[in-house]
Amino acid sequence: MSAPAIEFLNPTVRPTATRTRLWLSLARAVILESLRRKDLYVVGILGFLLMVSAGTLGFFGLQGLETFAKDLATTVLGLFSTIVAVLTGSRLMPDEIRNRTLYPLLARPMSRFDLIMGKFLGAVAVTWIAFGILAVLTGLALALFGVRFEAVMGQYLLLKSLGLAVVCAVSLCLSMVMTPSAAATMGFVLAFGTTMIVRALTMAYETASPAMQWLFKLVNAALPQYGLFDMGSRAANSGWGPVPLWVVGALLGYAVCYSSAMLALAWLKFRRQVV
Amino acid sequence: MREALLWGVGAATLLGVGLGTTQLKEVVHPPVKPAGLDAHETHASSSLLGQFRTSVSSWLWLRTDLYLHNGVEMRHLTQQELDRGKTGVGSSDNHDEALHNDELIVTVIPSRERDFRGFFGDLDRATKAYKDMSNHGHNDPKTALPLFRLMTWVDPTFVPGWTTAAAVIIRDRTEEANQKALGLLREGLAANPNSVGILSEIGFVHVSRRKDLRTAAAYFEQARQAGRAVVERLDDEDQEALLHGYRWLGLIYRDLGRTDSMREVLREGVQLFPDDPVLVRLLNPPPQVLSEQGQKAWQEAIQEELEGARADDHDHHDHHHDHEDHHDHDHP
Amino acid sequence: MKPAIFVNDLVIHYRQKNGQNVEAVRGLSFEVEPGEVVGFLGPNGAGKSSTLKALMGFAPPKSGQAEVFGLEAGSLEAKNRIGYLPEVALYYPYLTPLETLTLYGELQGLRGASLRHQATELLEVVGLGGAMRKQNRHLSKGMLQRVGIAQSLLGEPELLILDEVTSGLDPVGRKELRQILKDRQAQGCTLFFSSHELAEVEMLCDRILLIHRGQLIEERRMAALKDELRQYQVTFTGQVSMVGLTDDLTSWGTSTTARFESKSLLVQALERIFTQGGSVQDVLAQEGSLEEYFVQTIGRAA
Repeated sequence: MSAPAIEFLNPTVRPTATRTRLWLSLARAVILESLRRKDLYVVGILGFLLMVSAGTLGFFGLQGLETFAKDLATTVLGLFSTIVAVLTGSRLMPDEIRNRTLYPLLARPMSRFDLIMGKFLGAVAVTWIAFGILAVLTGLALALFGVRFEAVMGQYLLLKSLGLAVVCAVSLCLSMVMTPSAAATMGFVLAFGTTMIVRALTMAYETASPAMQWLFKLVNAALPQYGLFDMGSRAANSGWGPVPLWVVGALLGYAVCYSSAMLALAWLKFRRQVV
Repeated sequence: MREALLWGVGAATLLGVGLGTTQLKEVVHPPVKPAGLDAHETHASSSLLGQFRTSVSSWLWLRTDLYLHNGVEMRHLTQQELDRGKTGVGSSDNHDEALHNDELIVTVIPSRERDFRGFFGDLDRATKAYKDMSNHGHNDPKTALPLFRLMTWVDPTFVPGWTTAAAVIIRDRTEEANQKALGLLREGLAANPNSVGILSEIGFVHVSRRKDLRTAAAYFEQARQAGRAVVERLDDEDQEALLHGYRWLGLIYRDLGRTDSMREVLREGVQLFPDDPVLVRLLNPPPQVLSEQGQKAWQEAIQEELEGARADDHDHHDHHHDHEDHHDHDHP
Repeated sequence: MKPAIFVNDLVIHYRQKNGQNVEAVRGLSFEVEPGEVVGFLGPNGAGKSSTLKALMGFAPPKSGQAEVFGLEAGSLEAKNRIGYLPEVALYYPYLTPLETLTLYGELQGLRGASLRHQATELLEVVGLGGAMRKQNRHLSKGMLQRVGIAQSLLGEPELLILDEVTSGLDPVGRKELRQILKDRQAQGCTLFFSSHELAEVEMLCDRILLIHRGQLIEERRMAALKDELRQYQVTFTGQVSMVGLTDDLTSWGTSTTARFESKSLLVQALERIFTQGGSVQDVLAQEGSLEEYFVQTIGRAA
């Protein structure tokens, strides 16, 4: 077994608490850098402007506007937060390598897996902060339209956050095997195209040959199921209540498993890489 | 991150330029353009901006379906499914008020029995707006009005946006609603001066809601002038609008006692639409064997058929289902 | 006691973008004892940085051994005892030097007030006391190098591995750095550094290793090398024969200047002057040029 594997698996190498501290320290640095770059504020302003502009549609009365306002809110939230997740996740590690800030990090008594975990947690934190800013601003805009906050909206926010963590993990994994631009492009394709692909698979399954059906199942299992975390249609339309707890639990489990798999793949690629 | 800002600014700039087309109209849209050309497509093919606007308005158009079905995504049955005998969810329970026919559509998310995804499918059905849509109901079409407003702002040449919005507004059957609809249609007419669809719709509002036959006739005449020479080049919706224009003109001239004008219009209409039973019946007098009561019933039947066909006019989902076999407008 | 650095038959390959394998280090072997100051020299592309990367675990060797204090190079225990200064000093642009050192200190297991105290003190030592709260993107190259030196000293490492340590520093900065490193050495720290500044190497090192094309071509103790390079000169009057001692003679007027490559020859010359009735006017010892030695050695190895 190689030294990197031994050091990762051996619990006596570093106590868990210290490992967690490593990850949190790295994540804090990512957050600090992102906040000081002021990029998140741009996202918030764009989102807020879009929502406020929806107020110009008051021509048709409030009843018609409520569904549209909620629909626009979930669309804005989903779109911008996904953009932040993909861009953040796909650039963190390549930027470290290109800017050579990686060397003083790796010089520390810290495994490469710790580095990946810390960066991942940082990406998730930055994405959640952006999501939170957008959620607050869109919430304010909805309040201006007289839309009440419902429990299903709270669940929408929770599940969306979980989905964004998966997006970060996938983007980070992609960035370890391709250039940052290619990773971002592929990240966007998966983030915005996976649901379409899954819909096409369900539509074509019944009329497909047995071999193709087997392939459809394989593709469906491999693809990140981002669409499952999107309760936008329930949150935007009326009469749809919150989902049962088992659904939330199942999605949490899926998010943890899929993200772990992506991070493991990223580590496998990174552990023997010459930097 | 800065790239996201640039993309956002770029998209907003495109949208802004698109929305501010008043100054550009004289250059991009000549004052008189052939009504036969689908300005929507012409505009799209002439510029990247046009393509962007067309895509956005088309996306918004499809999204109206989602609003009507309270968030449940629906799709048209594929030819393969139809050949295998699959049926749609059935008509909505308030078909009279529906804007479209749901006979041949099914939910995008399949039912548990037809879903190969197993547990993932269960999660999908749990987190989405999904339910058994057999004999389903529709939301008030007014919920989709913001989308119509938005699509006409993004792409003023998207005629169905104007006409369908007006049709939804006048369902209120109040004078306030009529004026709102007319205001909207005039705005649409300013952007599409030779649109058969918009001209016909204005005429319809005047004749059916305001009972103003003369004003209605003037607009139907404009539609007739704009469309009759280029009827083969009109799209399906404009052809349908032109046909109804002829029908209404025939009826209006008949009610105004202008028999010669009526015959002229109806003969022309029958030449262009030889298979239309309403025009044929209007042109030909009722059989002499019918009693006075029978002749009255004959006329009423024509009127009913005309108004029934008019309701089908607003079946915009049939049209977009014809254009799109499947569209997934879910967002991440 | 285990050597601070033990490298045995080290081979490092890189795969270039065109798919070709490049042998950066070919069978390199050397040792560094605890407490030594060793300079690692070589022309560009000789394999210095690759060797340092192998010691830090950045580049896994294709074959051979690399150990630090008997521990596998790149292991967590090894890295816990090393302070490393990378060749190019780049740090997170939107963090301040204090935040940078705090981050690295936390990654080393340091915490709380002691970490803050140590970080502040180190930044004062390297001359960044007034700039420790400025963001790194506002600092000059030299100031960033000082940040790098400070972070390498965090946690009082037993071994300092420094790549191009004086890069970007002005003469005052270099003098301050030399003092810092001497202080560390006095405390028992082992220093292993690469540099193109031969004057720094001369002033600091106990020993030098000269590497070329991935192989060790020369290993010398600095004191012995200086002796070897040193030249002696005596100016005298009188008819004194220097045959057999030197041919390098310069005369003007009644004075003659003779140059010798070793001290023993100088002593013999002085004896002759005294015995043959000459008079010594001046005796000089000139330090040899390390640069000249470097160039000649590389040239011979080419």
